[in-house]
Amino acid sequence: MKQILMGNEAIALGLIHAGVDMVSGYPGTPSSEILGNFQKFRDKNKLEAYAQWATNEKVGFEVAYAGAISGKRTCATMKQVGLNVASDALMSASYIGLKGAMLLISCDDPGFYSSQTEQDSRSFAKFARIPVLDPSTPQEAYDMVKLGIEFSHEFESIVMLRPVMRVSHAREICDVDDALHVKANQGNFERNIPRWGAVPPAGRFRQGLEQIDRLEAIKAWNWDHLIKPKTHALKGETILCLTSGTGDGYVREAMSELEIKADILKLDMPYPLPKEKLEALFVNYDKIIVFEESFPCIEEQLSSVKLYGKLTKHVHLIDEFSKDKVLAALAKADVIAPSHAYQSEKYDQELPKRPPNMCPGCPHRDVHYAITKVFKKKKSIYTSDIGCYTLGLNQAAIDTILCMGASISMASGFSISDPDKTVVATIGDSTFMHSGVAPLINAVYQNHKFVLIILDNSTTAMTGRQTTPERTNPNQIDIKRIIEGCGIACHEYVYEQDLTKTVDFMKSLQEAYKTATSPVVAVVREFCVLDKDNALGRLGNVVVEVDEDKCVACDSCITNYKCPPMHYNDAGKMEIDPFLCAGCGSCLDVVCPTDAFVKKEEK
Amino acid sequence: MKYQIVIAGIGGQGAVFLVKVLSIASAITHQKCLGTENHGMSQRGGSVSCYVKIGDFYAPAIDEGQADLLIALEGNEALRNIQYLSKERGVIVMNAPKNFPKVDFETHSIDAFKKAKAKEFPIDALNVYMLGVTLALDAHFPFTCKEIEEAITMMNAKVAEKNITVLHQGINDTKAKK
Ligand code: SF4
Ligand code: SF4
Repeated sequence: MKQILMGNEAIALGLIHAGVDMVSGYPGTPSSEILGNFQKFRDKNKLEAYAQWATNEKVGFEVAYAGAISGKRTCATMKQVGLNVASDALMSASYIGLKGAMLLISCDDPGFYSSQTEQDSRSFAKFARIPVLDPSTPQEAYDMVKLGIEFSHEFESIVMLRPVMRVSHAREICDVDDALHVKANQGNFERNIPRWGAVPPAGRFRQGLEQIDRLEAIKAWNWDHLIKPKTHALKGETILCLTSGTGDGYVREAMSELEIKADILKLDMPYPLPKEKLEALFVNYDKIIVFEESFPCIEEQLSSVKLYGKLTKHVHLIDEFSKDKVLAALAKADVIAPSHAYQSEKYDQELPKRPPNMCPGCPHRDVHYAITKVFKKKKSIYTSDIGCYTLGLNQAAIDTILCMGASISMASGFSISDPDKTVVATIGDSTFMHSGVAPLINAVYQNHKFVLIILDNSTTAMTGRQTTPERTNPNQIDIKRIIEGCGIACHEYVYEQDLTKTVDFMKSLQEAYKTATSPVVAVVREFCVLDKDNALGRLGNVVVEVDEDKCVACDSCITNYKCPPMHYNDAGKMEIDPFLCAGCGSCLDVVCPTDAFVKKEEK
Repeated sequence: MKYQIVIAGIGGQGAVFLVKVLSIASAITHQKCLGTENHGMSQRGGSVSCYVKIGDFYAPAIDEGQADLLIALEGNEALRNIQYLSKERGVIVMNAPKNFPKVDFETHSIDAFKKAKAKEFPIDALNVYMLGVTLALDAHFPFTCKEIEEAITMMNAKVAEKNITVLHQGINDTKAKK
């Protein structure tokens, strides 16, 4: 049956068709729609399956892994930086293996579209010594999910699927199974202490050896089933392009559009590679060029003086592929003359910049604004974390961002290293649950003094509003009680679209800080403006205008508050774009020193 | 046939909706289609650009100098993406005010914001309105009005009627202007 599917939908459907009925993970762009779509398909087809967001990726991985060692078919989903969090568990699990099947999906983000790093999950597969499948389109992603699950079952190994953003968020007409034969598979954990509980060194040593044997078998399988059948299509040109994932599409298109002669061999499982067999192919070619995103995973496994790639600096080292980059690599390797077939001039006049910014009407903006207003920049350090509030960078309201949870632990560090400044940490509710609790315990335990503000909008907003623990179980999991569980007071503020009140709340925290001997912790109860249920009745309805006579173009609103509708008009005065303004009215009283913002009418 | 479309706009304007409609239209007309969307960090108000490649393609992104059509839901976003247009074939359909800078491509513009301000159509249907404008203008556009209507209905039957009305409003406004 043909269906139009986005990559992540294709993956979700593939999971269902592969008989997976246990999915756990943590949201992260570009992976987030996999679990959500799995839930949708499950409900539509009335299947019995577990699919829930975990508090973080390590937890998600471990839940799915336990399912797999009980014989079930399971899956864990995350993005590449999430895999860093889950890597502790992955390293051990890859030694031990499993009994049912488990697909680990880690979505990469070449080009840094929504990530702090460009790391390549295939390198992690190599590090953990597990096979990895690298799809290049939604259709392939669907097929590889099914292949991966079968393969995982056969080899008792976790299998990684690593789609990149251009696969996860691509949309294609896919050929998928018609019938649905899925029934819940029953888990049955069988006690086997030497295997599941092996402790160092003897037990693990043996498992390590077994893992190496397994890898050799997988290499042979990779050659027999995935690579060798493709070698029949090689035409005996003088150049061989080794490709993987999306790199393949760019190479194929450029070659056919510009009529460049070369053989292309796509490696569906870029690790582990049958090195000797592949290298034996090289004798027939003058040059072998490797096109892969993002790190030189294939290239590092092969050796030949004929090999060109990232390690030899013939292929670009960072950023996603494009056909222009394919041509540049071919030119550098002296295969073609330099070509600019895929280059064109940009518009050369200045255009209004639209860096990622918080939505108009978002409560986070007010909180950041109030923090910088009360805890002055010169006397403070602002640590923050990963989520929509990270965009407070635009307001210069954030000094550091490292990784999930680091706002709190780094606040501890700064409170020791630079004690004359007030450290103000901000973190969202989902991130706090993900990895903020442990550093808070550490801060209380060691009496680190800083201000911590938890921005609780009860959703994982940045990745598309996935549910969070306290949203699902509001009467049990409560941030305030977690803080109180640490034996300290929780300052609570229910957000209103009135900046004066938010500023006053910050002043109260500043007072509390003066006499504090441990962290001053607050929770601000917010909402996300895109969150229909929670924002209902809390959104504004005023039409705001700028009084041109009062506006002195001092930049103060645009630099410190930075709401997207604010821009200068031809007369050099501030103006509000009515199509972007959410009508919240927050900017009315505080942000303008000359009170130029005025309310025109109720919407 | 090979036809490549860049859709540019601001977060919240519904560029992604258009990608979906165009890929459904491709399926209806039995053509291969590869689309990608750029979402994640871009919240409301940020730059958004999406690609739709109809025909025999393998790479998800559109390269510079290759697109046949640029649909821009906002004028400056058209300029920001102009390098994707083909020098020979490139056509721009954009929502921009009258006094907008001239560029070296066949350009069709309409001040849809002004019409929305005058409450001629609801602003949240700007995307569909611009699709109507495109249908009325671009002779090479690979779909007919009927096929687009069918795609809109398949997308979401509940709001299809409203959307199709706005689609025709876009078509009619453009024809009236001509
Ligand atoms: S998505 Fe929600 S939380 Fe994120 S910036 Fe927009 S309103 Fe704020
Ligand atoms: S009322 Fe002011 S603060 Fe609120 S969205 Fe409009 S411009 Fe932004």
